[in-house]
Amino acid sequence: MAQPTSDLPRLTSQKAFDEFRARAIEKWEAIWNGKKTVVSIGIGSSSIPVGALDVMAAFERIADKENLHVRKTGVDGADWTDVQVRVKRPGEPAVVYANVVPSDAKGIIDGKHRGKIIGVEGDQPFDGIQPLDTHPFYKYQQRIVLQDVGVIDPDSIEEAIARGAYMGLYRALFELTPEEVIAEVTTANVRGRGGAGFPAGIKWESGRKARVTPKFVTCNSHEGEPNVYKDRRIHEGDPHRVLEGILIACVAVGAERGYNYVGGEYPLAIQRFRKAVDDATALGLVGRDMLGSGKNVAFRLRTGGGAYVCGEGSAMMYSIMGVRGQPRTKPPRSVEEGLWKRPTVANNTETLSNMRDIVVKGGEWYAQFGTEKSKGTKLMTVQGPMKTMGLVEVPMGINFKTLIDEVWGGMRDGYTFKGIQTGGVSAGPLRYEQLDVPVDFDSLTPLGGMLGSGGFVVFDETVCAVDFARYLTAFNRVESCSKCVPCARGNPALVETVDRIRFGRGSQRDLPLLERTSKHVIELSLCGLGQVAPMPLLGMMQQYPEEFQAHIDGVCPCGVCPVSAEATVEALAAD
Amino acid sequence: MAEVVHAPAKTDGIDLDYVRTLMAHFEPEDWQEGQELILSALQEINEHFGYVSVEAAEIVAERLGTTINRIYGLLTFYADFRTQPRGKHFMLMCHGMSCYVMGSQKLVQEMADKYGISDGGTTAGGELTIQVVNGCLGACNQSPVVKLDDDYHGRLTTESFNELVQRVIAETAQEQ
Ligand SMILES: Cc1cc2nc3c(=O)[nH]c(=O)nc-3n(C[C@H](O)[C@H](O)[C@H](O)COP(=O)(O)O)c2cc1C
Ligand code: SF4
Ligand code: FES
Repeated sequence: MAQPTSDLPRLTSQKAFDEFRARAIEKWEAIWNGKKTVVSIGIGSSSIPVGALDVMAAFERIADKENLHVRKTGVDGADWTDVQVRVKRPGEPAVVYANVVPSDAKGIIDGKHRGKIIGVEGDQPFDGIQPLDTHPFYKYQQRIVLQDVGVIDPDSIEEAIARGAYMGLYRALFELTPEEVIAEVTTANVRGRGGAGFPAGIKWESGRKARVTPKFVTCNSHEGEPNVYKDRRIHEGDPHRVLEGILIACVAVGAERGYNYVGGEYPLAIQRFRKAVDDATALGLVGRDMLGSGKNVAFRLRTGGGAYVCGEGSAMMYSIMGVRGQPRTKPPRSVEEGLWKRPTVANNTETLSNMRDIVVKGGEWYAQFGTEKSKGTKLMTVQGPMKTMGLVEVPMGINFKTLIDEVWGGMRDGYTFKGIQTGGVSAGPLRYEQLDVPVDFDSLTPLGGMLGSGGFVVFDETVCAVDFARYLTAFNRVESCSKCVPCARGNPALVETVDRIRFGRGSQRDLPLLERTSKHVIELSLCGLGQVAPMPLLGMMQQYPEEFQAHIDGVCPCGVCPVSAEATVEALAAD
Repeated sequence: MAEVVHAPAKTDGIDLDYVRTLMAHFEPEDWQEGQELILSALQEINEHFGYVSVEAAEIVAERLGTTINRIYGLLTFYADFRTQPRGKHFMLMCHGMSCYVMGSQKLVQEMADKYGISDGGTTAGGELTIQVVNGCLGACNQSPVVKLDDDYHGRLTTESFNELVQRVIAETAQEQ
């Protein structure tokens, strides 16, 4: 368990922060301009399973002998390169190695394993190696939220500050009025990254105007969807950026306390974020009289318990208040009556992680990225058998085919593309022919897809559309909070009907029945979970009608479904 | 959402003094913060002991000013909590979408067919408890993935998965 860095001074003035920052920058420069070879290892939830800690230990063992400075960073998003190691010799640019195993350590330092090199940092080729930024995975990226992920040691507040952390907060405390901060956010026109795309500036404005006190800000880092892993990666790679975003929001709307609600399944994200909060508190960036500005913002971290529905705004607030996370009807909206019945501004992690740069560089600067209606960049993740899979940050409006074929490198050998599920458990799949579209908040919806939180799932020919539809509907069935009848009873009915088809007992009547039941669930459910729960099923039925028909005729073309098996209670219960 | 609890769970394996010491660290400023800390307290106990017993829940209720009924309402709503002791080993089976499209359904099915357990179940000899995770474990490049105690096992096939499970069961049985 990481300890807070103990020798941090408490900074009680603007000047004290300036001086601390200048020293941090000096230290940072010294790492890179020193006489040692700097070895940076990406350590995060994707690389630990493939031995990142052992790779780090292997380099540490030879560090003295080989004159190495071995350090950890977050994973830069390129999961396909895990374990990624960057080696920077004095006077040379850093060379990036992919898929390193512990036994490579000595060889890499000796200049061997050139086959594992994927590029070199900077914009010039070096020693016959192309710049990393010319690699398709990196070429299309525009990194704002991720600019320091994979660069800094996430456990070091000094490294974060050397790279510009808390400069947004600094501006919000000393240089801008809260109204000016909100004006920048409005100009940036950053829309909520949690799925709904509501403009953050407007939400903050309503929060600022609310007259009841105290007010709160909650950061939604629950990320309980099964199809995305972006928010936890920001926590793992650059936790200070998240915390700073929350603090800026608190200062702007006049909230006395900020919260971060993180999914309980992400121990590393929680551990690194907790350390970030402890260090920032020690420095005097959080709490009473922040940096001597006279402003006070308290902070609390809360963790979820594995219920997807707790990502819904009002449910998250109930969960923080220590009760069951069940959504309520709106109005009143959370900005009027949220946590503890007080005005509460709730934003997604990624939304808030953009705030530092928006405040420092201005809303105009931010609005140059992206499209007319979807400004800025978007974190996107892919799942499924892709060659170069991982998390990327690209400008809104990137072409979907570019994303699939170039950024994520196309299908792994031996797999054939069948479709891509968009919007997680809330929308339908798209076929390859439909992918010549820009990816932003509005363009996928007419096709039956959705940007959602930016987690896409590519599935291949071995995945049965009916079985996949069942999986998606069953997810919503299990995760329904059972507060309202259309969702609590409707989703099980949908699963049962799909199961009838999967077990080869379906009939022609079942397809219209599914549509009718879906309509009820969509129109009558109380919250966003129920209102979209049938969308994946309807999408699958629309895109792959021939497969549903085949099951009704008694065959599962992929050989996945038990079309001729006995539908026993136990078999139905196994999901 | 989770199992229904009819009878009080036993308190084997839970050191109540430890729970009391743990709870002493929970010092809410006011009633509101006390309410906010209930889930955190239960999470710590669940993480440390693998489940929350009635006696442990009572200590939490008393310290934070709530009732045992309310606590059971939480324990049965949030999927991460258990109210029964775990087996010797604990396996999270990722059933997120990446793992699903790469075949995790087969592994879940395998557990049901060969070992007779589903989500939350424990093998007959108490060697292994499984929890099927509806979210994503964050290691999608290794799908399908399971996390057995502290170690991840990725790119599993039905064969390699069975090997893993059988090894754990055999080794545990030998120790006992
Ligand atoms: C069932 C359900 C689950 C949700 N899960 C999340 C989540 O995990 N993270 C998130 O940021 N928003 C989630 N949302 C959206 C939130 O309700 C809310 O719109 C969002 O957090 C607002 O932040 P934003 O405006 O910055 O996007 C979910 C909504 C629903 C209906
Ligand atoms: S729609 Fe579903 S999840 Fe939402 S309140 Fe109703 S039962 Fe709960
Ligand atoms: S879905 Fe299983 S690790 Fe991501």
